[in-house]
Amino acid sequence: MTPLIILGLVASVFLLFLILQVWWRSRGNELALAAQLTPVDLEAFENLTDPEEESYLRHNLSPAEFRSVQRIRIRVAKMYIAAISKNASALAFVGQSARAHSDPEIAATGQNLVQQAIRLKVWCVLSATRLNAALAFPTVLSPSSAIASRYLAVKYMAASLPGKSAA
Amino acid sequence: MNFPHLIWFYRYLWIGPHVLLLAVATAMFRKGQHRHFPIFFSYLIFEFVMCCILWPMAYFRAPVEIYWRFDLLDRAGDIALRFGILQELFESSAAGSAPWYRNVARMRNRVTVLLVILASVVFAALYSSSLNHAFFANYAIIEAFNVAQCGLIVLLLLWHRFLGLRMSPFAFGIAVGMGLAMGLEPFQIMLRYSVPARMGMIVDMMNMAAYHGAVVVWFYFAQAREKVPSDSTAALPQLIEQAADMGRIAHL
Repeated sequence: MTPLIILGLVASVFLLFLILQVWWRSRGNELALAAQLTPVDLEAFENLTDPEEESYLRHNLSPAEFRSVQRIRIRVAKMYIAAISKNASALAFVGQSARAHSDPEIAATGQNLVQQAIRLKVWCVLSATRLNAALAFPTVLSPSSAIASRYLAVKYMAASLPGKSAA
Repeated sequence: MNFPHLIWFYRYLWIGPHVLLLAVATAMFRKGQHRHFPIFFSYLIFEFVMCCILWPMAYFRAPVEIYWRFDLLDRAGDIALRFGILQELFESSAAGSAPWYRNVARMRNRVTVLLVILASVVFAALYSSSLNHAFFANYAIIEAFNVAQCGLIVLLLLWHRFLGLRMSPFAFGIAVGMGLAMGLEPFQIMLRYSVPARMGMIVDMMNMAAYHGAVVVWFYFAQAREKVPSDSTAALPQLIEQAADMGRIAHL
C-alpha cells in the first residue's frame, strides 16, 4: 500500500505544479520578468574577481583578515552574478522578440542573442556554484571573472539591435 | 457492477476525444504547426488510428490476448512518441539549434535515464506480486516510463522558467495536456487497487475523462492566437534602450 500512497502523493504534487504553471502564465508573469534590466557595473565586478587584486590582498593581509575580506568580496560578486543572471533572462526575451522580426538580419541577431543569453544564464549558474564553494574555502578557490566578458558580448549584441531596427 | 445508464457516456469518452484529435490535427495543419511539431502531429494521427483498431476490437469482443497485444502496441507507441514530443518541446526554443546545446541535450538524456530507473524501482515495488506475469511486467514498464515523462514535463517547464524563455502557447498547451493525461494515471492505478474490481468501469471512465480534458486543452491551444509576441514587441524598444544604456554604463 505504501508505494501506492507515494505514487498518489507524487501525482498530486505534479498536478498542483501544472495548475501553478497555468495560473502563473495566465497572469502574464513571463512578461513582467523581462520588463526590467538591472544595471551592472562590470568594472567593479571584474575588480572583485581579479586574480591580481586577490593576490595583492593575500600578500598584504593576515590569513584571517584575507579570509574575512575575501568572503565579503565573494558575497558581493554573488549579488552581481544574480543581477547578470536576471538580465540574461531579459536579454533572452529581447532576442525572442527580435527573432520574430520581419527583417531577416534582425531575426538572425535575435536568434543569436537568445542562444548567447541562455549560455550566459547557464554560466551564471556555474559561477554561482563556484562562488558558493569559494565562500566555504576562500583561500583555496578563487572566483572567476570570465563571465564578465561573456556578459559584455551578449549586451553588445542586444545593444546592436536598435541600429538594425532603424536601418 | 454494471452501469447500463453510463454505457453511452463510456462509449463517448472512448470515441469522442479521438475524434477531437482529428480536429486538433486539422487546426495544426491549417496554422502550419505540423511543421514545428511533426512528432506531436504524428502522435495525434497514431492515437486516432489505434482507436480505430482498438475500439471495434473491444466492441466486437475480440480475443483478449489479441486485444492486449494491440493495447500494448498502442501504449508502447504512445510512450515512444511522447519522448519525441518532449524532445521537440525542449528544442522548440531558439537555443535548440545551438551547437553547445547538444551538451545540455546529453545531460537531459541522462536525467531521463535516471528518472526511468527511479520510476522503475517504484513500479517494481508496486507490481512486485504480479511481475512474474508477462502482461503485468509490460504494464509496469509502461507506467514507469509514464511517470518518468511526468518528471520531464516538470523539467521542461522549469527549464523555460529558469532561462526566462517564453514557450509558444501551443508548446505550452501540449505540455499541459500531456501532463494532465499522464499525471492522472497514477490516481487510476491507486483507485484500481483500492476499489472493488466491479468498479473498474468507473476508474476507466475517470482515466478517459482525463484524456478528454487533455485533448480539449490541445484543441484550445491549437486554436489560440499567439498574443504574447505583440506584447513583447511593444516591450522590445524599451528593453533595447535599457540594454544600450547598460552598454554605456559598462563603457562598451
